[in-house]
Amino acid sequence: MNAPVHTQLALRHSYFEASARSRVAQLLDAGSFREFLPPEVSQPSPHLAVLGIPGAFDDGVIVGSGQLGGKPVLLIAQEGQFMGGAVGEIHGAKIVGLLRRAIVERPAAVVFMVDSGGVRLHEANAGLIAISEIMRAVLDTRAAGVPVIALVGGSCGAFGGMGIVSRLCSAIVMSEEGRLALSGPEVIETVAGVEEFDSKDRALVWRVTGGKHRYLTGDCAELVEDDAASFRQSTIDLLAGLTEPAPGSSALRTEQKRLTQRRERFAGMRDGLEVWAAMGMARPAEVSLMDRDSLVAAKKGLPA
Amino acid sequence: MNAPNPIRAWDSRRQGRQRRLERAASLGFERRIATPRIKELLEAVIEPRDRVCLEGNNQKQADFLSEALADCNPERLHDLHMVQSVLALASHVDLFERGIASKLDFSFSGPQGGRLARLVQDRQIEIGAIHTYLELFGRYFVDLTPNVCLIAAQAVDAAGNLYTGPNTEDTPAIVEATAFKGGIVIAQVNELVDKLPRVDVPADWVDFYVVAPRPNYIEPLFTRDPAQITDVQVLMAMMALKGIYAEYGVKRLNHGIGFDTAAIELLLPTYATELGLKGKICTHWALNPHPTLIPAIESGCVESIHSFGSEVGMENYIAARSDIFFTGADGSMRSNRAFSQTAGLYACDMFIGSTLQIDLAGNSSTATLGRITGFGGAPNMGSDPHGRRHASPAWLKAGREAGGPDAIRGRKLVVQMVETFREHMAPVFVEELDAWKLKESMGMDLPPIMIYGDDVTHIVTEEGIANLLLCRTPEEREQAIRGVAGFTPVGMARDRKMVEQLRQRGIIRRAEDLGIDPRRANRDLLAARSVKDLVRWSGGLYAPPTRFRNW
Repeated sequence: MNAPVHTQLALRHSYFEASARSRVAQLLDAGSFREFLPPEVSQPSPHLAVLGIPGAFDDGVIVGSGQLGGKPVLLIAQEGQFMGGAVGEIHGAKIVGLLRRAIVERPAAVVFMVDSGGVRLHEANAGLIAISEIMRAVLDTRAAGVPVIALVGGSCGAFGGMGIVSRLCSAIVMSEEGRLALSGPEVIETVAGVEEFDSKDRALVWRVTGGKHRYLTGDCAELVEDDAASFRQSTIDLLAGLTEPAPGSSALRTEQKRLTQRRERFAGMRDGLEVWAAMGMARPAEVSLMDRDSLVAAKKGLPA
Repeated sequence: MNAPNPIRAWDSRRQGRQRRLERAASLGFERRIATPRIKELLEAVIEPRDRVCLEGNNQKQADFLSEALADCNPERLHDLHMVQSVLALASHVDLFERGIASKLDFSFSGPQGGRLARLVQDRQIEIGAIHTYLELFGRYFVDLTPNVCLIAAQAVDAAGNLYTGPNTEDTPAIVEATAFKGGIVIAQVNELVDKLPRVDVPADWVDFYVVAPRPNYIEPLFTRDPAQITDVQVLMAMMALKGIYAEYGVKRLNHGIGFDTAAIELLLPTYATELGLKGKICTHWALNPHPTLIPAIESGCVESIHSFGSEVGMENYIAARSDIFFTGADGSMRSNRAFSQTAGLYACDMFIGSTLQIDLAGNSSTATLGRITGFGGAPNMGSDPHGRRHASPAWLKAGREAGGPDAIRGRKLVVQMVETFREHMAPVFVEELDAWKLKESMGMDLPPIMIYGDDVTHIVTEEGIANLLLCRTPEEREQAIRGVAGFTPVGMARDRKMVEQLRQRGIIRRAEDLGIDPRRANRDLLAARSVKDLVRWSGGLYAPPTRFRNW
């Protein structure tokens, strides 16, 4: 059974429910955050204004610098509560600008707090171009030797283009509540039908896209409880040992081979439960109720 | 002295019972009834114009017997007088639409309130009265004693003893009134077993039993998903805890079932404990086993809970916390609604709950136009019982606030907790309750008021707390209510100067008057933010129904 959790449960500050600004405040060393393009100078989206949709002064993303465990970092935090964290032209430009700054400034890392369903469809091509520029900028930043760490634990998860961006990062820290995938559940259901994927079956959605599944299948480096302090500690720990190797094709080939083998191994499976059983989890049905520590221990015990 | 009347039979009820039992015996019925023959039995032992009690509350339902009765031949069974706590199932209303029953005495009709109102307007039903649970139970022993009762139990043994399981609820009250006044007791059970965990109803009070084709329906009525609690509700809960619970030192209490009070339950291990209130408030409860109380129990804030019924999924948790809940030697809970209602009425110092409308005198009602619903136990919980004689610090303090230092009795705290607007921006505060129009359209004797204004001691809204105990005139009372009614038309029409005076006298208190920083009022203060959190707090003992799971 799980370890006693009473104290943690009573004292947690939910990362999932927090706003982007409150996440930033809880993640960084106290008082160290400095925002670039703060509210008084940034502009809301002109595309939304044309459509008569209310904009946000920060266009749904906060960028800036700060200290994390005493190390200098640059930081991006998407606000899932504004248009589902969707990436529009200004939103994207702020992210790209920050990543390019990282290449110049060389901080210990860029921390990318992802909370987004992907492209902001209202902005059409401008949003799509923004996403591809972010992908390029993440790879450029890593190639310059600066790690980019994605944190995925917000209510919008990391879907669509932002799902790809997250996987392009050096490492992902996820909570159980976080979700990471390419097409969102509603998109799959709309395109392929409810028989293919029932997006209202919340349990299934989490078993297929949620943090525990991503941790068991190795898509995220760390699994944390839904607690801002846990995200902070895990990111600090990750920073301590993280180096960004020079890009090369052999590492990419190894990774591609791993992914190909994984696809073949789990081919035809439709539910996390089947995948976990195939990985050797003795009681896959219990995974959903395990706390973080129990799941991490269970993964260690799995056959290689 | 007169000679005994030679014509008067003194055992007509017993003879009636004998007649019915003989009819059943002549058809070959023994104590155990084969499931397909249940309708035949009901037609044999029930007679036209009988008073029939159909067990069902807003939790446990004798649903199989109810459907069987509704399927009976209206030429055989008609003009029945139904006496029952709750009219909740479609088959309950079918009885009247099909002409089997014609009169109804009840307490609560919840989901069937609309159909019931139409039946009344079409004169297909005569309503005797709408009661509270305790009144109705009381009348079972006075002038509404059933000829036949149809009840629900978990299990029966071969001898006919019944085990109700944790959902004991109304069964003891109904069976006692029926079995000891020449009535017939018929039970539907989920299973026949060799040995019962314990005996809740002895076999010689039970005439017939039938194993139902499916387990009796139980509604998980008291489960509130913490994910749906809002920041505003957290703020109101903070104000209630600091401004009322702490102020009066409320130890014995009952909570309503809304999200407002669920928020209070989830702040007990966090905010209330931080205020040093652990052990000083909320130690003894008359309350259903609310899953949202699990964190407070696990944190040692709660000493005892007596329940009206059980709650689906809480069975194993309750069994493992027998210091807190009332359980049998077998480990499972026994809940007896009549006793728990009595406890809520007389043994509690506070009731706090929500409502849909409040008028300028503080009268509150959940009645809405086009529906007849009744109020179940709320009017008893939410009333100051003049029959109370024992004192407690909370009761005395409230009494002295109302009647001065020489008051000769205390007061129960009756708190209404509402956001000023409910869904669809409908204002909670109104000049006149819909209850008055309902009275006219339904031809009722009285407007259906849930809690009378003169019983209400405090109103809590997001704008603050109004202490009605301290009001000295009807005008002060009206302005105290307007003063916490926010941006509703009632609130906008306040006399600002008078409201400010009331605030200076402490009759109205805002969050800042209580030293509460509204910026702290967010969901982070909740000890659990999801049903899964509750399961974790319970160490895996709480097993929520599937509709509350996302795993």
